[in-house]
Amino acid sequence: MNPRPYLLAGPAATLLIGLLVCPLLLVIRVSLYQPANGRGFFTPGTWTLANHSALMDAHGLGLVGYTIAFGAMIAVVVVMVSFPLALFLRSLNFPLQRLAIAGITLPKFASVLVILFGLQQLLGDTGPVNRMLLTWGIVSEPLRMMRGLFGALLGEVFLILPYAVILLFVQVLEIDPILESSARGLGASRWQVFRRITLPLAMPGLVLAGQLALVWGMGAFLGPLLLGSPENTTLSVEIQRQAFEYGRWPRAAALSIQLILAIGICLGALTFLHNQVSGRRLGGDR
Amino acid sequence: MIAVPSSELVRLAGLNFGYGGAPLLCDVSLDVPTGKFLTLLGPSGCGKTTLLKLIGGYLKPQSGSILLRGKDLTHTPPEERGIGMVFQNYALFPHLSAKRNISFSLDVRGVAKSERDDRVERMLDLVGLTKFERDRLPALLSGGQQQRVALARALVFRPDLLLLDEPLANLDRHLRDQLRNELRRLQEQTGVTAVMVTHDQEEAMAISDFVGVMNEGKLLQIGSPKEIYHRPETPFVARFMGPANIFSADFPGASREKPLMIRPEQVVLGEAADHCSWSVPGTILSVSFLGPDMMVQVTTNGGLSLMVRVRSCDSIVHGKGIGPGQEIRVGIPSHALWQIPGSDGEGIST
Repeated sequence: MNPRPYLLAGPAATLLIGLLVCPLLLVIRVSLYQPANGRGFFTPGTWTLANHSALMDAHGLGLVGYTIAFGAMIAVVVVMVSFPLALFLRSLNFPLQRLAIAGITLPKFASVLVILFGLQQLLGDTGPVNRMLLTWGIVSEPLRMMRGLFGALLGEVFLILPYAVILLFVQVLEIDPILESSARGLGASRWQVFRRITLPLAMPGLVLAGQLALVWGMGAFLGPLLLGSPENTTLSVEIQRQAFEYGRWPRAAALSIQLILAIGICLGALTFLHNQVSGRRLGGDR
Repeated sequence: MIAVPSSELVRLAGLNFGYGGAPLLCDVSLDVPTGKFLTLLGPSGCGKTTLLKLIGGYLKPQSGSILLRGKDLTHTPPEERGIGMVFQNYALFPHLSAKRNISFSLDVRGVAKSERDDRVERMLDLVGLTKFERDRLPALLSGGQQQRVALARALVFRPDLLLLDEPLANLDRHLRDQLRNELRRLQEQTGVTAVMVTHDQEEAMAISDFVGVMNEGKLLQIGSPKEIYHRPETPFVARFMGPANIFSADFPGASREKPLMIRPEQVVLGEAADHCSWSVPGTILSVSFLGPDMMVQVTTNGGLSLMVRVRSCDSIVHGKGIGPGQEIRVGIPSHALWQIPGSDGEGIST
């Protein structure tokens, strides 16, 4: 075996082991300690499953459920918005296309906090949007867009969208427009061309963009923290709260493991679903 | 207006097309007779593929009209034209098996499953695709097999008109000759009217009932392969169809104003030249061996330079042999001499 190619993976492997695997093992161990008794992060030398079983109560399950639902909503919204946008970008001519892509990636140059605070100001109860709506008499009291599910979703979608658009754009660029022309020549309407040619050929990209958005959405922290409601929140926000507000480090560690497991299961389910669908398409008759 | 005598399936009248700058197609008018095979021939960039895409509805002309069976299709989208097309790289759907590619046009028309399967099977038999290849994705098929799938896909919905954009260009020579004959057989069996685009004059002459020669967005001449080859209307057509001797000279019954043409294989060398209506002494400049033929460059004592094609097995080669510097009789039969009526500058005479 030639070891040289493996050396290329060296830096990444070092980072992965040092910054992901080792801390993860530590987190697993911490989740099995009893909570701290007044001092420190936990009680050393103890073993318990209580931190994990506490997640099985109504509050714990609610948290997991909300996180999965939040991630799924993010994935759906991101894919629904970025797919048409990617198709639109493909249809543009060269200089205009470059300009549009630059415009879409531009927000990524600003700090995440600046973007989220900006959204908060813009859409807040006393923000310019609500003031306008009130002045025009469209609403009688301020539309509550921030500090709730809508705000949290909006913030996260705004952060993830550029990545999903670029990813999908690269995928749809691979689809030769001559295939769509030829399908129309064979009698397919625009909708049939989309349904039978464009969509299936873009599917790998759609699944990838969906997975990206799902992972990101389930792990969402800043959006739900700054723009979401304080009551209903994601696991990430709860982890931060348990650790830094209540000082319950073992509980926070258990929640972290729960989050990783939930993301893994959801990703696996999505991949399985995609394989089922594409397998049926290739093998089946209709 | 150039017209082929016969009842036409397709009529193109005064088609113009271009993107801003120089026009890609300039006032093209043409009739395609029902059930015939027409080939559009020309160098790359002459507008032949553009013309094909206009007929298929993939592009819209700036002006002019396209009629199919007398019905104006100029503004009809491709899916409503019912015209089959084989694209240059076949444009097979990469995610569908050969069979599903072929049944696509029937699927979108909602043809019942039993009828659909029946028609697809018959089409597969017609183009000669084995059972084994039918369920494969296009990427797993060879170039020749992909070409057959593309043909079957374009014919399965029984279009009146079949368009072929350089369908043989991506195949190696041996396969190309074989598929050329199959293509012609298929066209005759199905009775479909075909319009093919190619830059290969041999292919065009071998397969077609009619050939239309194009250059720089204009249709220069249309006619049977023999007409186009022996009676070209412009020097460009004469040269594009094969090697040609084009010159000006005083011949009885010919005007000095217009160029004369004779194909290299029609010039006679040696003693046989004395039987020709016009024969003079000349000198061989060079000889190149091409396998079945030899191309001989001669100059007459009057200073006329001619290419002559001689069979390699000709007695003149085997007798004294021929070589550079040798003196030889050169003869031109008057029936072989053709006065080219048009010039390249002013386009076509109609």
